[in-house]
Amino acid sequence: MSATNSFARTPVPLALRSPLARKIVLRGAFAVIVFAAWFLASRNMPAFILPAPDRVFATWSRLVQLPTFWGDFWITFSRVLAGFGLSAVVGALLGLLMGVSTKAAEFFEPLIVIINTVSSTIWAIFALIWFGLSEATTIFVVFMTAMPLILTNVWEGTRQVNPDLVELARSFRMTRGQVLRKIYLPMILPQFFTGARLAFGFGARVVLVAETLGASSGIGYRLRQAADLVQTDQVFAWTLTLVALMLVLEYGLLKPMETWLFSWRKAVKN
Amino acid sequence: MSRISVAGISKWFHRRGDAPLHVLSDICIEIGTGKSVAIVGASGSGKSTLLNIIAGLTDSDGGRVLIDGREQRAGQTSAAMAYMFQEDRLLPWRSAAGNVRFGIETLGLPRAEQDRRVRSVLELVGLAEFANAYPHELSGGMRSRVALARSLAPEPQILLMDEPFSKLDPATRSQMHAEVVRIAAERAVTIVFVTHDVEEAVVLADEVVVLQPRPGRVKEVVPLQLAHPRDPVLPMVSDAVRDLRQRSDHSAAAPIYH
Repeated sequence: MSATNSFARTPVPLALRSPLARKIVLRGAFAVIVFAAWFLASRNMPAFILPAPDRVFATWSRLVQLPTFWGDFWITFSRVLAGFGLSAVVGALLGLLMGVSTKAAEFFEPLIVIINTVSSTIWAIFALIWFGLSEATTIFVVFMTAMPLILTNVWEGTRQVNPDLVELARSFRMTRGQVLRKIYLPMILPQFFTGARLAFGFGARVVLVAETLGASSGIGYRLRQAADLVQTDQVFAWTLTLVALMLVLEYGLLKPMETWLFSWRKAVKN
Repeated sequence: MSRISVAGISKWFHRRGDAPLHVLSDICIEIGTGKSVAIVGASGSGKSTLLNIIAGLTDSDGGRVLIDGREQRAGQTSAAMAYMFQEDRLLPWRSAAGNVRFGIETLGLPRAEQDRRVRSVLELVGLAEFANAYPHELSGGMRSRVALARSLAPEPQILLMDEPFSKLDPATRSQMHAEVVRIAAERAVTIVFVTHDVEEAVVLADEVVVLQPRPGRVKEVVPLQLAHPRDPVLPMVSDAVRDLRQRSDHSAAAPIYH
C-alpha cells in the first residue's frame, strides 16, 4: 500500500513533462537498451549466430559502397512500387464499384475472402510455377497481398459517405459524375490513404518472400545468398537497411502527408 | 418573376406489406413573386414532403407544380430554385468560401465570376472575414450563415427552406430571421419554408399555410400584414402568434388532449 502511494507521489522529472521531450527521452532509452543488450549478447556468441553491432555497421558501410547495392535496392523498391501502383488502381476502382453497386459487392466478396485467406508464401509458389523467374512473379505476390487491403478500405469508405451530402449535391443539380468527384472522392480519400499505407508496408515485406523464392536479383535474393553462405553480418546489414527505409518513408513522407491532407478530419473528430 | 402554383398535389407513401399511406391530398396553393410563405401543421401533415415536391426532390402521385407557368418535374429541379436543409450540411474539408462555391461551381461560370459571387454572398451574410475558415472553426450560427450564403450564390429567385434554423439557439435563430427578412427584401426572393415554430412563421411570413394531418390537406391560409421588423415582444406580433397557434392546434385530427 505505502509503496504504491509513494510511487504515485513521485514527482515527474521536468524533462518528461512536455510530450515531445518525453517521447525523445523514452525513444532514446529504448534504442540504448536494445543496442546494449545486443552488444552484451554478441560477446558470448559466435559471430555467425549474432554478430556485434560494430561488426554489422562495418559490413553495412562496405555493402553500401558496392556497385550492386543500389541496383538491388532499386530493383526491390521498383517491384514494390509496381505491385503497389497496380493494387492502388485496381483496389480503388473495384472498391468504388462495390460501394456503389450491391450486386458487384455480393459478386466480388468471396473473391476477397479467398485472396485474403491464402498466405503470401503460397502466392509466391504459384507465381513461380506460372511466371518462373521473372519480374511478374514478385509483382504478382505484392499485388495479391496489397490489393485486398486497399479494396476493403475504399469499400468501407464508400459506406461512410454521408447520404445527406449526396442529397445536397443533387439539390444543386449535380450529375452522378460530379457527385462522385465532389462528395465521394474527398470522403473516401482518408480511408484510401489508410489502406494504401497498410498495403505498402505489407507489399514491402512480402516482396522479400517472393525474391528469396523466385528472383535472381533484389534484396530478398541477397538475403538468401548471405544466409546460404552463413554471412550473418550481411543478413543483419540488409535488415537494417530495410528498417531504415521503412522508417524514412513512414515518418518522412506518409505521416506528414496524412497530417497535411486530413487536418480537417482530425479537427472534426475533436 | 417567380410565381409558384401548387395545383392539386397528392402523395401516397407505399409501404411494403402495408396499406399505402395517404400523405397529401389535393393541395392547392398560390405563391406570388417575392412573397414569403410559411407551411405549418402538426407532425404527420406532410409539410416537408410538400416542400420536397415543390423542390422537385420528390415526385407526386397527382397534380402539378408550376413555376412561372412551367411544370416542375421530380429530378429536374428548376435552376431558379435553391433549397436549404434542416442541417447546415457543410462539407468539412472545404473552407467557408469553398462551401459557398460548391453551390455554383457546376454552373459553367468563369472563375472570376465565381469569385465575385462567393465574395458578394459572404458579405451579404456578414462572413466576409471568415472566407478561409473551416466549418469546425465556426459557431452554429456562422455555419448556418454559410449554408444560407451557399443557397444564395446561384442567385435563385425562389428559396425553399425545411426548418432551416431549428437546430440553432433562440438568440441566433432571431438573428438569422432578421438576416432572411433583410436579404429577401434586398434580392426580391420568393421564400417558401416549413416550420413547426409558429413564432418563426409569424416573424418571417407574409402568408401562413396551415395544414391538417392524415391525410395532409390545407386547413386555411392566414395572411399576415404586419410591418417588419416583427419583434415577438411587440403586442401585435404576440397576438398574431397566439392566434396562429390556436388555429394550427385545432388542425390536429384527433384532439386527444381535449
